[in-house]
Amino acid sequence: MKSYEDLEGDGGSDIVGQVGKLGEKLRSRLDKITHKVALMSGKGGVGKSSITANIASCLADRGKRVGILDADLNGPSIGHLLGVGNDVKLEMKEDGLNPGIGYQGIRIMSMDMLVKTADTPVMWTEEANATAVWVSTMESTAIRELLADTNWGELDYLLIDMPPGSDRIDNIRSLIPELAGAVEITIPSQLSQHIVTKSITKNNKMGVPIIGLIENMASYVCPHCNEEGKLFDGEDVLKLSEKKSIPYIGKIPFDTRVSQTSKMGSLFYTQFKESVTGKAITETVDNIEKFINK
Amino acid sequence: MKFLCIPCDVKMEIQTEGIMPEEKANLAMKFKCKKCGHSIAMLTNQFETEFVSKLGVEMGGTTDVSSSPMSAVGSSLAQAKEELKSTNPEDDLVWTEEALDRIKKVPFFVRGMAKKTVINFAVEHGITTIDAKVMDEVRQKVGM
Repeated sequence: MKSYEDLEGDGGSDIVGQVGKLGEKLRSRLDKITHKVALMSGKGGVGKSSITANIASCLADRGKRVGILDADLNGPSIGHLLGVGNDVKLEMKEDGLNPGIGYQGIRIMSMDMLVKTADTPVMWTEEANATAVWVSTMESTAIRELLADTNWGELDYLLIDMPPGSDRIDNIRSLIPELAGAVEITIPSQLSQHIVTKSITKNNKMGVPIIGLIENMASYVCPHCNEEGKLFDGEDVLKLSEKKSIPYIGKIPFDTRVSQTSKMGSLFYTQFKESVTGKAITETVDNIEKFINK
Repeated sequence: MKFLCIPCDVKMEIQTEGIMPEEKANLAMKFKCKKCGHSIAMLTNQFETEFVSKLGVEMGGTTDVSSSPMSAVGSSLAQAKEELKSTNPEDDLVWTEEALDRIKKVPFFVRGMAKKTVINFAVEHGITTIDAKVMDEVRQKVGM
């Protein structure tokens, strides 16, 4: 009886060939993007998406071509922040789907653009007995398609707005081995720092370069007099960065105008780059660019 | 994975035309010996099927249906925008809601083949609207 090796070819599905083709398609897309940066936090609600959007705004302000992949599949907010609503008309070309164009020409791809209505949740099946494995499989497939099938064009930066938690970084790391690094974001609260520590440890173990730690909502800035006050009781975030031997790249105060400006047709940074918070964002982006270009 | 016809000692060939998997997360593949014509079906349980799906490939080789951008997202999202599906070449055919629901339940990595089988059947028989009855006929014809 013949053995496996005696039979030519594979089972008929050309699995190896297909995997190769998928890889080539992704590679040809990523090769046109100079720097890929993941923005993440172990904890939800730390302002990760707002920071991502305003970092993108600052980079665009410097003349960089910027895109954002909203990897938070189940809680997408990048489109909302950059003025690309669910009602955006999708432009499907033979070689890919055109990204949404947000404020300052920032290119966006987000699940929010793909679902039927603004309040439609991302569901891969409406059957109640869907397994977690199936959902997780579909999420990985979706991330690959959002990366590989979006017509990003030539970009200087692709920012990846990660979901809360550190589980998705495995997926991103395998798809983008040349990832420039991850920016970790925390707020001063002890709980947030406790969780972001795990994310930092995981990235260190996986060999994902950590660009640095951002302390968001570090203080409160009065929009009228620019006076700063304490917002959270917590431990010193600078100490955490020293303990984990990662750069402390930004101390960004809370400003109520951050959430208001996206409703007014622009991002906070473009309107208030000379404010205390605006200057903190500028400094953070300086540090990110320094890390990447060193 | 390869299948060998023991009496003929030749590799069995995957049958891409005629695959009609169950409309749930199970994989059903048909193989045939080209020498003696004997057919077998490989059936996998839910966990084996999910394992295959992690590769992100399509069983039986890629089909036209799967080569369009965002094909897995567009065809697997419970409620995706229509534009995501608009590049499929077989859009002239009308699918009833029930038929669409049934094809959506086929795992994405064999959905292309399943869809192609139904479309070919419809074209051969001059059918312009694909409904549940047509899908039942296809299933009966391909014997899966």
